[in-house]
Amino acid sequence: MAEQHTVTDGKHKASTNAGGTLLGNSRPSAVGGGGRGSLSGGLTQPAGWQSLLSFTILFLAWLAGFSSRLFAVIRFESIIHEFDPWFNYRSTHHLTTNGFYEFLNWFDERAWYPLGRIVGGTVYPGLMVTAGLIHYVLNLLHLTRPDLHLHLPADTGTVEPGGGATGRLLHRHRPGYISRSVAGSFDNEGIAIFALQFTYYLWVKSVKTGSVFWAIGCCLSYFYMVSAWGGYVFIINLIPLHVFVLLLMQRYSKRVYIAYSTFYIVGLVLSMQIPFVGFQPIRTSEHMAAAGVFALLQAYAFLQYLKDRLTKQEFQTLFFLGVSLAAGVVFLTVIYLTYTGYIAPWSGRFYSLWDTGYAKIHIPIIASVSEHQPTTWVSFFFDLHILVCTFPAGLWFCIKNINDERVFVALYAISAVYFAGVMVRLMLTLTPVVCMLSAIAFSNVFEHYLGDDQKRENPPAEDSSDEDEKRPSGNLYDKAGKVRKHVSDQEKAEEGLGPNIKSIVTMLMLMLLMMFAVHCTWVTSNAYSSPSVVLASYNHDGTRNILDDFREAYYWLRQNTEEHVRVMSWWDYGYQIAGMANRTTLVDNNTWNNSHIALVGKAMSSNESAAYQIMQSLDVDYVLIIFGGVIGYSGDDINKFLWMVRIAEGEHPKDIRESDYFTPQGEFRVDKAGSPTLLNCLMYKMSYYRFGEMQLDFRTPPGFDRTRNAEIGNKDIKFKHLEEAFTSEHWLVRIYKVKKLENREPLDHKPRVSNIISKQKYTSKKIAKRKRGYIKNKLVLKKGKKSSKKAV
Amino acid sequence: MNWKGDVYTSASSNMASGTSGFGFCLPVTSFLLILLLCVQSGGSQKKKENMLAEKVEQMMEWSSRRSVIRMNGDKFRRFVKAPPRNYSVIVMFTALQPQRQCSVCRQANEEYQVLANSWRYSSAFSNKLFFTVVDYDEGADVFQQLNMNSAPTFMHFPPKGKPKRADTFDLQRIGFASEQLAKWIADRTDVQIRVFRPPNYSGTIALALLVSLVGGLLYLRRNNLEFIYNKTGWAMAALCVVFAMTSGQMWNHIRGPPYAHKNPQNGQVSYIHGSSQAQFVAESHIILLLNVAITMGMVLLNEAATSKGDVGKRRILCLVGLGLVVFFFSFLLSIFRSKYHGYPYSFLIK
Repeated sequence: MAEQHTVTDGKHKASTNAGGTLLGNSRPSAVGGGGRGSLSGGLTQPAGWQSLLSFTILFLAWLAGFSSRLFAVIRFESIIHEFDPWFNYRSTHHLTTNGFYEFLNWFDERAWYPLGRIVGGTVYPGLMVTAGLIHYVLNLLHLTRPDLHLHLPADTGTVEPGGGATGRLLHRHRPGYISRSVAGSFDNEGIAIFALQFTYYLWVKSVKTGSVFWAIGCCLSYFYMVSAWGGYVFIINLIPLHVFVLLLMQRYSKRVYIAYSTFYIVGLVLSMQIPFVGFQPIRTSEHMAAAGVFALLQAYAFLQYLKDRLTKQEFQTLFFLGVSLAAGVVFLTVIYLTYTGYIAPWSGRFYSLWDTGYAKIHIPIIASVSEHQPTTWVSFFFDLHILVCTFPAGLWFCIKNINDERVFVALYAISAVYFAGVMVRLMLTLTPVVCMLSAIAFSNVFEHYLGDDQKRENPPAEDSSDEDEKRPSGNLYDKAGKVRKHVSDQEKAEEGLGPNIKSIVTMLMLMLLMMFAVHCTWVTSNAYSSPSVVLASYNHDGTRNILDDFREAYYWLRQNTEEHVRVMSWWDYGYQIAGMANRTTLVDNNTWNNSHIALVGKAMSSNESAAYQIMQSLDVDYVLIIFGGVIGYSGDDINKFLWMVRIAEGEHPKDIRESDYFTPQGEFRVDKAGSPTLLNCLMYKMSYYRFGEMQLDFRTPPGFDRTRNAEIGNKDIKFKHLEEAFTSEHWLVRIYKVKKLENREPLDHKPRVSNIISKQKYTSKKIAKRKRGYIKNKLVLKKGKKSSKKAV
Repeated sequence: MNWKGDVYTSASSNMASGTSGFGFCLPVTSFLLILLLCVQSGGSQKKKENMLAEKVEQMMEWSSRRSVIRMNGDKFRRFVKAPPRNYSVIVMFTALQPQRQCSVCRQANEEYQVLANSWRYSSAFSNKLFFTVVDYDEGADVFQQLNMNSAPTFMHFPPKGKPKRADTFDLQRIGFASEQLAKWIADRTDVQIRVFRPPNYSGTIALALLVSLVGGLLYLRRNNLEFIYNKTGWAMAALCVVFAMTSGQMWNHIRGPPYAHKNPQNGQVSYIHGSSQAQFVAESHIILLLNVAITMGMVLLNEAATSKGDVGKRRILCLVGLGLVVFFFSFLLSIFRSKYHGYPYSFLIK
């Protein structure tokens, strides 16, 4: 533990650096947004003041963004959160110790036993490579001790646990300044959102300038995005959509042509370099829109070229014929290829985005993940607070003053808001655009209300003009600049609004924004900063208890079991067992093999002897379950149990039937009224083994489950093939050892005793007669008969 | 599952009125049954086979005419209850008469028809499985005989033996989608039915109508296509999408919550769901309106500052906008606070 401290020192350095790289890169875009509009800045030396101010503010915003992400580290300790990050950590570790090529060829025999998993080819390596690179650079500079690499993921992790899985963007707004800090995560999404933003920024830039240079930059950023997250499909569909809409709006220009052609070709080739993506970009339906638009764009450009050679009348007919023909041909080709099997149809995951009921019926494993649920308005408000109401206003302004780039922003906003509505997780892609658009809305307001009524000496239109190239939001400011001029023409009218109203508006708006900042801090510290591996509970007096059962149990596994034992658990804990306990798992969070998961689910939901057969066939040595009944932890396995049953039923409908686990009234209950199948299934028995002896409270009977508020129905649980190996302090994790086969199967029942045999003990009659005496006229008592009978 | 309760009550009240009417019927029918049984047991094996063949033929003939066979009490007893049989029968007990006001029955009936048709016109169609329906108004005695007091109910009558517990379809839990029914049938009878839904033409027709309408409009106004470039229209459309999504309409679409909750004890209607994990339809509409109001406030604020015109008017505009933003936002915040327990902040309104 003493060592821990020194490491922590090094780690903070590292995390600062990591933060610098992550956030520093996003700075140009932020400057695009925020560079303009220091209203009173242009008093003496506009350029100097402005850059100093914007730099300071950006730096402060970055600092705030960074430190808010440190909540978790301060409250708990530097530890990797959740589930997926553990895998990322493990593979980064592999990468740094064995080198890049070894990593690409990594076959992980410790996961998905007995199948194994080809990690190199089934992973988006962007995150690991990034973390590995930072580690490498730091090592090069001798900043850290060699053993830092163990902690490095935690360091990059600290960059954003605050924003965490939902990737909330910290949006800091000051009069006229907009800056954002992108939340990263040691989950893929962390760097992916940054990559996404950067790609879009470069795309907009290349559309604006029409230069191949920016388009190539966009491709590189896209490549990074592809390497980091499966969400790259969003980019490869949104950019073609943008181009397509531009064509429809007759906003075609050479710039668009250059940008898209370069982007599509180079981006396609680059994206195919990632082993996991491979030939997907030309073989799956998700990517076909991009190809179709590419073909269409070529046809369009060719017709545009012909325009010069033909008369207007000829051209008109040819043009419409050509374009519609091209579109038709592209469409039919795609359909034909899909039917003949050259192109894979939409995968279930994407299909479920359109047909929202699809996953529930066909792919329970997707529907079971809480991140894939639709979004209520509460979670919108929780993540975005006031932005959720103001960003439509920004969108309104954007569309009212449309140009090429704002088309993109509008499309982005609409598609992202749709996806966020379908899946909570995709809120991640929505937040950047929401921040941008509400920044537009707010800065529009401040633009008009904040300025003093004094005349401005130099209309700042000229310094905005060089910056407004940078970003759609920045771009707005050339409009703003114009408005400014406009307003200064209308000086009297401007002054007419009066300083009082202006200051009231400004005050209230600032207050709203302040509330937003407070809200964000609260959300970050309360909701997104608990590392789920370590739980915290609060006593009545406000002191905090840390429940460290997970690590306790994993550490137990690591220390007390043989190195190659196989641990069976539900898939949620696969990555953690592999990462923390370093033991072989059967299934993990990479849910690539549904039938294998269903087999584990079947073992959990059958009775002990049936489960034992399955466990035998899978070579299971230990079974690990999570049980929250003692402390009232609601995310335990009994609460997830119905999903196990459902998934098992999907593959083994003959053996497992969901209805068996319900009471006749259709309820799922663990008390005496529960269905007998449930009360005797392996999961139930493992969860409640010896729980019946435990009285938690004087007010409740023994065996009272706090999570489900019920007294358990089966208190007398005995195991035949399993034995309890370990139960953590608060019973949160329970580990059972699977016994080897017995040499001789004992009978379940007592050997049958028949009266005849026992009585046939041979005794000589003579002796018996001689020895036994008897009483004469003894009263004989007949059993089973009543002495007195009533007359019927 | 409120509807089930409603159905239950209505059907049971019917039952009560029906009992007296059919009281005398029962002895007659049971007498008939005994007669029938006597005839059967008296007959030879051959006769039994004849009878079976006859029954199957009759069933086939009916089902070739209609995919779902309508049954009354007598038919039901003869073809479904009485042995000998070598076929499975799926029976839907329902109350389709309009005066019964069972809307669930109608929906279930549609699904059932889809399933029966998919079976009827599939290549695997055979005389092993028949789909029948018993309406309460045609065969109330059957309902009584089976102790059934809610509709709709799906039951499977296996070729041999009596129906077991699992032969009654668990409507409450699984719902009555024909896919689920097919799964249940496959489970009970080993007959796999691939549900083929007739493509829903109403959607297509509506779309075609819309397209032709829009096309026609465009054609009529082909000289003046300016309105396509009307940014306000497009902006409105975009905002509609945004508002619909941010107020959680997609959640409503997927989860199908009730419109509002009426407390059965005191009859109070609550429009806002108490938990942050769920919402009512009414609630999402309220939120939608609030969001619209706040956005409008923002736009008004902007308008007030940029538009030309009378200063007084603009001042009013500005104040109205500000009021909209501040008031409705604090209202929104208070709703959020009431749902998200433990949220510490509020503004103006508690």
